This record gives sequence, structure tokens and C-alpha cells, in this order.
Amino acid sequence: MKHRWAMAIDLDRCTGCGACVVACTAENNIPVIGEEEAGKGRLMHWIRVNRYWEEESPGARATYLPVPCQHCQRAPCEIVCPVYATYHNEDGLNAMVYNRCIGTRYCANNCPYSVRVFNWFDYKWEKPLDEQLSPDLSVRSRGVMEKCTFCVQRIRRVKDQAATEGRKIRDGEVQPACVQTCPPGALVFGDLEDPESAISRLFKDPRRFRIFEHLGTEPHVVYLKRRKGAGA
Amino acid sequence: MSGENHLARTDEAQLYRDLSRSNLVTTWRWFAGVGVLSLVLLWGIGVFVYMMMTGMGVTGLNRPVFWGILIVNFVFWIGLSHSGTLISAILRLTHATWRAPILRAAEAMTAFSLMVGGLFPLIHLGRNWRFYYTIPYPNERGLWPNMRSPLMWDAVAINTYLIGSLTFLYVGMIPDLAILRDKSDGWRRKLYSILSLGFRGTHAEWRRYHRASTLFAILIIPVAVSVHSIVSWDFAMAKVPGWHSTIFAPYFVVGAIFSGIAGVVLVMAAIRRVFRLERVLTPLHFDNLGKLLCTMSLIWGYFYFTEFLTVWYNRNPEEWEVFSSYGRSFLPVFLLMIMCNFVIPFPMLCMKKVRRSIPAIAFASLLIVVGMYCERILIVTASLARRNDPFIWHNYFPTWVELSITAASFAMFGLLYMIFSKIFPIMAISDIKERLFHTTERSFGGASAETIARVEEGEEEGGA
Amino acid sequence: MSSFVLIGLFDGVDQAAKAGHALRSLPLAAENITSISGVPLPDGSVTVDPRPIRFSLYVVVFWFVGALAGLALALATYLLYPLITAGKAIISIPPTLIITYEVAMLFALLATLILGAREMGLLRFRARKVHEPRVHDGKIAVCAVVEPGEQEIQARRAMKNAGAIDIRIEEGEL
Repeated sequence: MKHRWAMAIDLDRCTGCGACVVACTAENNIPVIGEEEAGKGRLMHWIRVNRYWEEESPGARATYLPVPCQHCQRAPCEIVCPVYATYHNEDGLNAMVYNRCIGTRYCANNCPYSVRVFNWFDYKWEKPLDEQLSPDLSVRSRGVMEKCTFCVQRIRRVKDQAATEGRKIRDGEVQPACVQTCPPGALVFGDLEDPESAISRLFKDPRRFRIFEHLGTEPHVVYLKRRKGAGA
Repeated sequence: MSGENHLARTDEAQLYRDLSRSNLVTTWRWFAGVGVLSLVLLWGIGVFVYMMMTGMGVTGLNRPVFWGILIVNFVFWIGLSHSGTLISAILRLTHATWRAPILRAAEAMTAFSLMVGGLFPLIHLGRNWRFYYTIPYPNERGLWPNMRSPLMWDAVAINTYLIGSLTFLYVGMIPDLAILRDKSDGWRRKLYSILSLGFRGTHAEWRRYHRASTLFAILIIPVAVSVHSIVSWDFAMAKVPGWHSTIFAPYFVVGAIFSGIAGVVLVMAAIRRVFRLERVLTPLHFDNLGKLLCTMSLIWGYFYFTEFLTVWYNRNPEEWEVFSSYGRSFLPVFLLMIMCNFVIPFPMLCMKKVRRSIPAIAFASLLIVVGMYCERILIVTASLARRNDPFIWHNYFPTWVELSITAASFAMFGLLYMIFSKIFPIMAISDIKERLFHTTERSFGGASAETIARVEEGEEEGGA
Repeated sequence: MSSFVLIGLFDGVDQAAKAGHALRSLPLAAENITSISGVPLPDGSVTVDPRPIRFSLYVVVFWFVGALAGLALALATYLLYPLITAGKAIISIPPTLIITYEVAMLFALLATLILGAREMGLLRFRARKVHEPRVHDGKIAVCAVVEPGEQEIQARRAMKNAGAIDIRIEEGEL
């Protein structure tokens, strides 16, 4: 069964609340690095919410842009890794192999969306926070790159479940943590191979655009343009 | 009757003593220098181990500036390595006889700066202890390194250049090692006997030696050009605005030759002072190097202006953000670079008085080395700090960890050089003798001038 | 009747040339006459080297051998360790060309070193080679492989007439 996982982000609905960031951090064993390290530019968020100011104060308005890994079909990060630590799997995901990474950080330099983050230290979870760690994926050592995987552990769980039950995966059954949590429902996830899925419909939406489309990376994350004047 | 050649007029034993002063005489100053450099190197190694155990977070790196001073050092040292190739190989092929006293020191500089520079790709890895994943050998991991990555091209190219330049240095030394072998005793004699491979100077040996040297010169030049092109492609292949430019390959090669010649001038000025080689390294040599340096300054300026012009005219937003940051956040580095690479040295080097004054040209060369370092800082860190997505822009400043490792790299280079000068001939004695052998005085009416004969292969009896 | 090497020491290149010329007019094989000098002497000025230089051709051959090795290195990925790439190419031509070129140059450089040293005779570690260390003080030595008897006497006379400051015998190879 072939899949092509993709995500659509509706900027009309995104309020910039950041719940997706929190959910992702909880789901994927991402360390909380602290204020000082964050000030040094070392945030480990796999999905981040970009905030752009449209005017100067006092009439300043902010626009929010959640940016997960775009899972590019022509990923610039894949070709530059000298040890094949990042590769393209059959489900159309840009996959990351932590054990293989030797930390050259070339992939991070080549990602135009800057979605890749690096483990600058061995981060610790003080007791009892270590009980929160998910057993479905590893805790990465220092010196290793990581990034959003579209919650591949959840995808795999659903695939296994569907295979055991001998059925196809239903639309909306796979939900990465960010998609599951988003209160206004701005994030939609699904399989492009399924022509009936919500995501296949959204990929044809006239409002659709991709970030840095001119770079030719062909991302699997599509954004739906915010209509001006819609709400506040 | 041919005029008596200059070699016949020279007391060769005295010449040998003059040129080999570094090998024959050791003062406390040498031990002190080695001691200080070793301390700095050991400190740097300790800091590196600390960084390896704690994590790359002890550096100033961040998102998006994932490459910093350590990669700047890498490019800088590989760039300095173009010194020897230019002097030995290109000047050999163009029959520039004035290269003789500079040969050995320049080739040694190439070999050692490659050794130092080649360490940095290993130093800057997040998991250094797993570096062997990049070595292509049959393994149980089921994975071969990715040859499409410019970092792997780096690995192959720098290895080739390192082996090539070490070989070049060694082969160039064989006749001199034979001289040292015949004139020394004890452990030195044993060492030189092994290294000189029993070279004696027979006619058959010299002919083949000359052919081998020529072949080396022909082979090492394309390797040098390709190596720095490949280093530049680490950047040019990336989707980083300010990096992704087709001009990078020739631009980097030009910059490397530029900084390489400046490095040679500095090293020669130092050697001349320390080993009292004033009569061998004359102002003429610095004059000629200065002319080359002047030309390279102009060429470098031309490449830089070209790159700036296309970005400035086009105002492509991503690239323009990077370049306009040179006028804002990175202004000090940018100004330092322009002053040190072009504004000050170029007019200086146009003047014969400056080129012939060793302190003046050494000062200009020092400025150029500093300026080229700044240029690489701008290329590596400024482009990353102001790349595509403005939300994650972040400045970069190196920490004591990176500065210690940088200092240690300079110490390692100096240490290698000091040890080399003690054990091996720092002057190309045979080449200097050969030049003297071909030199005669010839009278043109009332004046006389030095004439240097050039013998082409295939001339019969009655040649020189 | 074993031959040995007669070594004559000369002060300058002109005397050495006279000696070389005189020795060549004797019934001695040209490759048995050579000079030992601190600087390379033009071919034909003092002695002649009749054997052509061979190793440069082999260096070119080794360049191509290296190119094949580089090709193998770059393409080995695809053959030895097949990878999941979702149908994307692992072999790409420009990187393959780069690696091929670099390894070819490496092989050529090493071939120049090893084959050159071999043809210079520097890898004959067991052989006993004659040597004259005084050439480093400005002298030139002219050597000839001679049989004891008439050949030796004629060679000695030729060297003496050319102005040799010292003539001696040494066992060994040129």
C-alpha cells in the first residue's frame, strides 16, 4: 500500500496559540532547553510558529505561520548528508536516522525553511519528567540533527493496526500531535494517494501556496492563504 | 670560452653551512618556541576534548548559523595551502629561476597548512567519534557514504592534495637529503640515508629526477585548483543566499592563491630573520612576490566587485538581505576586509620601495592574511545569519572554545614548521646551486649583466 | 675478471667534459660512463644517457587506472549497498566525474613517485652503489665501469689527461 503523507495549514484559522508546538514537544521527546539557550538561538521546536509584524506600533498586527518540516519531494537536505542520515522513504516522508548522523550540520544549512534543529548538548529530563518520555521513539544524544517526522511513530502504529485488521487506513485516522491538538483545526493531515481524503481536496484549493516555492523543493506542506479582512 | 659560472666561484662548503644553519645550530630560542607552541596546542586539544564530551553547545553556533569559526578556519588553512603549489609548480613550469630560495619553505607551508586545515572537518563534527562513517570501506552497517555530498568530494580531494603535496615536498627534498646525508653523522646520517633512498647525483638519476619534478608540477596544479573549487562547492551547492553563486569556484581559488602568496611572504620574512639568510633571500625575491601579490589583490577585488554588482543590481530579496547586512550588522568585519585586502595593500604593493622593503611587504602580507580571514567570516557566517526566513535570523559570535581551537591550529602549524626546519633542509640547496651553476656574467658593451642559461632537453654536446 | 668502477674527480665542468669526451672515444658502452655531480648537467655536456625515460608513459596509464578506481568508488554505492530512496537516483554524473578525476590524479601522483624512484634506481636497496661525496664541495666525478687491464689503463690515462685531481677504484654498480 503506497502512501503520500501531506499536511495543509489553513492560515485563516491559525491564531498563533502555539498549542501545536507544545503537543509536538510532548509527543516527540523534545527537550525544553531553557531561557538562556533559547536566547542563543538554540530552540529545539520541531514545529515553530513564525510571527511577522505587519505594521509598526500602535496599529501593529501579527501574522502567524506554523512551520513544520515541509517534507520536500526534492529535499535539499537529503543530497548533502555525507552519511545518508536523512533519506526519502517510500511514504514520501523525509526520514531521519539519528544513529547514522555524525553532526556535520550541512543538512541544516541547506534547508531553506530552517526546520532542522541540532542537539547542542545531552539534554536531561529531571525526575519525574522522565516519565513523560514516549517509548515509541528515542532520546537523541548530543551531536545529532533532528526534525519533524510527521509523527512517523503514529503513522507506523496506524499502519500496523490497519494491516492487522486487514483494512485500508481511514482518512483522518493518522493524526500527528500538532494536527490532533490544534484548537481551531488549522492543521489537516492525510494521504495524497487517497483521492477522497480531505488533504487531496485541500491540495487543489485555489488559496493554496507553498513557502519559498521558487526554490523548487516541492514541499508536501501546503498553506491556505489568509483572506484579508476575514475576522480580526 | 664560457664565462666562469657563479657556482664555480662559490665556496660550496660555506654555502651549505649558510643554508643549513637551521639544521646545524640549535639555540635555546628554538626550544622556547617549541615549548610555547606545544603548550598552546595542548590547551587547544584539551578544549577540543571538552567540546567533544560536552557537546557543540559550548561554541557560539546556533540556528541558523550552524557553521562558524571552525569552518572559517578550514577554508582559511586550505586556502593558505595554495602557496607552495604556486611557487613550486607554476614558477617551475614558467622557468622563473628566482623561485629557488623560496621553494622548500613554500612547499612545506602547503603540506602543513593542509594537515592543519584537514583536521577541521573532523573537529567541527557533532559526533566526531563516528567520523569513520564517511570512510568508504566494506562494513556491517549496510551503508556506503553518500558521494553526492560536497563533503565527500572534500574528503577525496583534500586527501589527494595532501598526499600529492607531501610527495611533492619529499621528492623535492631528495637531492638535498643526499647532501645532508653525506655531511652529517649519528642519528641524522641514518635518517637521511633512509630518506634519500641512496640518491647520488649520477647523470641518469638527474635526468629522471628532472622529469619526475616536472611531472609533479604539471599534476599538482590541477589538483590544487580542483581542491579549492571543491571546498567552495561546499557553499555553492547549498540553497543559502549569498552562497549559491557560480562564481564561487574561481573566486575561492583566486582568494586562496592571494592568501597563499601573502603567507609565503610572511614565512620567508620570518625565516630570513631567524636563520640569517639575508644574502639568499634578497629584496629581489620579495619584489617579485610583491608583484604577484599586487596582481592577486587586483584580481580578488575584481571578483568581489563582480559578485557584489550582480546581487546589488538585481536586488533579489533573499540575496540582497545578506549583502545589505554587510553594511549594518557586519559592517566592522566588512570594512576590515576591504581595507586589509585591497584599499591598503594594493597601493602599497604598487610601489617598488614597499616591495623591496621587507618590513613593509611583510606588513602588507599580514594585512592580507587578516583580510582574507575576515572575508571567509563574512561568507560563512553572514550568509547564514541572514538567510531565507527572517523569523530565525540570529547573529553569531565565537566563544572561548572556538578561539582556543583556532589559536591551537596556528600553534600546530608553527610547531610543524619549527620541527621541520630543524630536521629537514629549509632551503632548497640543490636548486640554489643549480641556479648558480647556470648563472654567468655577460658584458654588454660597458655594462655587465647576470645571464642565466636555460638548457632544453635534446641539445647535443656544446650546450651551455 | 670482474669489473669495477673507476672514479675520477675533477675541479670544474670543463675538465669533466674533456674526460667524458675522452672516455666515450674508448671502446666502453655509453651506459657504463656517467657523472656524479651536485647539480644536474645538461645531457651531452659531460656524459650521455642513452636510455630513454620510460616512466612518464606509465604515469599516464596509471592516471586511467585511477580514473577507473574513482569511477568504482563513486558508483559502488549503487551496486554494493542498495538504498531506499523512493525511486530517486543515487548515481549522479557530476559528482561521479569529480570523484573520478580526483582519484585519477592521486594515482598519477603516486605513480610518478614510485615509478620515478624505481627508474632512478632509488629502489635498489640491496645493490652496492658507488658514490663520491666530494661532489658536494664543487667537484664533479666522472665514473666508468672498466675491466682490469687494458681498459683500466686507457681510462686512467684519459682521466689524467683531462686533469683529474684524484682517481680511485670502487667496487659496485653505477
